[in-house]
Amino acid sequence: MLYKRHIPLLIVVGVGLLTLFGHFINNDIVKDFVDNDSTQWFDIIASFAVFLGALNMLKLQIIKIINKKKNWQYSILSVLGFSFAILAGFFYKGANYVVITDIKLEDIRKVSEIIATETQHKNIYEIESKLIKLESPYEVDKIFITKRNANRFIDQIAPLVKKIELKSKPWGAHVQTEGSLFYWMFIYMITPLGATMFALLAFFVASASYRAFRIRNFEATLLLIAGILLMLGRVPIGALIPWWAISIAAIFGLGALLAPLIKDKKVLFGFVGIGSVLLILIGTYLGWNQNPPELLSIPAIQDWIFAYPTMAGSRALMIGIALGIVATCFRIIIGLDKSFLGE
Amino acid sequence: MDFIKKVFIRLGSLDRRIIFLFVGFSVIIPLLKPEWVNLPIRPRPESQAVFNELNKLNANDKVLLSFEYGPSTKPEIHPMSIAILKHLFAKDILIYAFALWPDGNFMSTEAFSEVADKYGKKYGIDYVNLGFKPGAEAVVKGIASDLHELYTVDLNGTPIHEIKMMSGIKNIEDFDFVFSLSAGYPGSKEWVQYACDPKDIPMSTGCTSIQVTDIIPYVENGQIRGILAGMPGAAEYESLVEQELKVLGKNSEPGLASSMMAAQSIAHVVIVLFIIFGNITYYISRQKHRKEQL
Repeated sequence: MLYKRHIPLLIVVGVGLLTLFGHFINNDIVKDFVDNDSTQWFDIIASFAVFLGALNMLKLQIIKIINKKKNWQYSILSVLGFSFAILAGFFYKGANYVVITDIKLEDIRKVSEIIATETQHKNIYEIESKLIKLESPYEVDKIFITKRNANRFIDQIAPLVKKIELKSKPWGAHVQTEGSLFYWMFIYMITPLGATMFALLAFFVASASYRAFRIRNFEATLLLIAGILLMLGRVPIGALIPWWAISIAAIFGLGALLAPLIKDKKVLFGFVGIGSVLLILIGTYLGWNQNPPELLSIPAIQDWIFAYPTMAGSRALMIGIALGIVATCFRIIIGLDKSFLGE
Repeated sequence: MDFIKKVFIRLGSLDRRIIFLFVGFSVIIPLLKPEWVNLPIRPRPESQAVFNELNKLNANDKVLLSFEYGPSTKPEIHPMSIAILKHLFAKDILIYAFALWPDGNFMSTEAFSEVADKYGKKYGIDYVNLGFKPGAEAVVKGIASDLHELYTVDLNGTPIHEIKMMSGIKNIEDFDFVFSLSAGYPGSKEWVQYACDPKDIPMSTGCTSIQVTDIIPYVENGQIRGILAGMPGAAEYESLVEQELKVLGKNSEPGLASSMMAAQSIAHVVIVLFIIFGNITYYISRQKHRKEQL
């Protein structure tokens, strides 16, 4: 009880109070703890959390495969992907490069040609000029995932140079080195998969909005109109929609609102038809073809929606969330909320 | 009239695969043939504000560029990264890159390798990449108080005290501007809350369209100076940078976002048309249903 409940609770309450008071007490030790030490502690704990999270994921997937639970086949892919990432990150660097430290002057052209072919560099003269000015070792601009490939290249070039070395990027840096195994995995596997998942949204949004975005009541209508205006207003095509098209849409909208009040359909159609024609005539007379009013510009209406209704809603949400966070933190600090202990 | 009603009712039960096909074509055709749809890109005030803020900076000013996006949001944010790097490098501004997302490391590496050489910029002299650290807001707070406590080596494993342009950099107060390329948490909000607002450092952001509603209150308050909102924001910034590069006499190639705007525009129009058709169908079927009930 003491180790599992009281001591963790004391740590949380103590650190919570100290961090909170750090903002109100002008003391260098407390300030230093809040600004530097606590953030470093957080970083260390976060690093361990990543490790634990990864292990937990692996454990869950393996259990799923062993017990042959529903869709266990996907877990095999998950474990394989995980193992491959671990291999490329921790065990196999796959980031070899070749360095030329001395070269025979008469062979510079030939060497440049071989390097240009290998690196697919279009400008041989650029490589040649770098090799002529060879003061420091020249690093061939290509990363070889396997040593075998690197040695094949070295075999081609070795008779033409005095000194050539095969090196490997240091551990850690190999992950970010363009052309390394890990980088290859990220660019050619993770990037297209991630982009595909996100791109699928376009299709689901289209299908869902076709079926669900319906004028069922007043609120739904407002949402629909705002949605359409935002969708058109955010892209350049929105600016190309002429003022008269927006005027006609507005008159139709007004007609739809008044429809329940006007029982005679002829009057309603008359209002919509005559209203549209009148508005177009007035607009033409006022020169809206050259200078349309902001009210009839979709990008301007979209900007207004963002600047006022959207912002008001966002601020209300933010204030609500902030109050909720304050209340939750206070409950944790005073020991009322013990959810972090699993209670 | 009955025939039209029947057509609309049939449209209402349209198979989702046909909708997918329409959306697919509306995206693929403008991407393959962008010259078929030539749309003018006019910068919005928020994009113009970002450009003006960065354009105000002088040579050798220091900009902290934070990469907080990954492959899924790359099409929206990466064109912004490229355009910003072009703008800053053209003005000889020093860039210090960080990443709050692990994927951000790859994005920054790719962006630098695409732009730096073209502008003759050297690593460690004109730009440095310090990379990712886990800890979200704790990392932002660490950079705000003392980044040497947090970062001892850069992305290549070089100790940061050996990097020339790191001398004289202690914390966020040593930077002239912060720019967050953000696709979610941790991102722009954390930079405002834990670093830029408390230390009064100007900052701007480029984010995904879906995030704009979350960020806009900070923009309206002046805590974030301008915002590049999604792919349209990227296209607008690209057009502004292109003009500026011409003024500076530098080479400028058209950006990626500008060429993708046609596809996004047509896709939006197709979705809007589907919504309108869907509602006409809904109205007709509701009327029919009422008549049947009577």
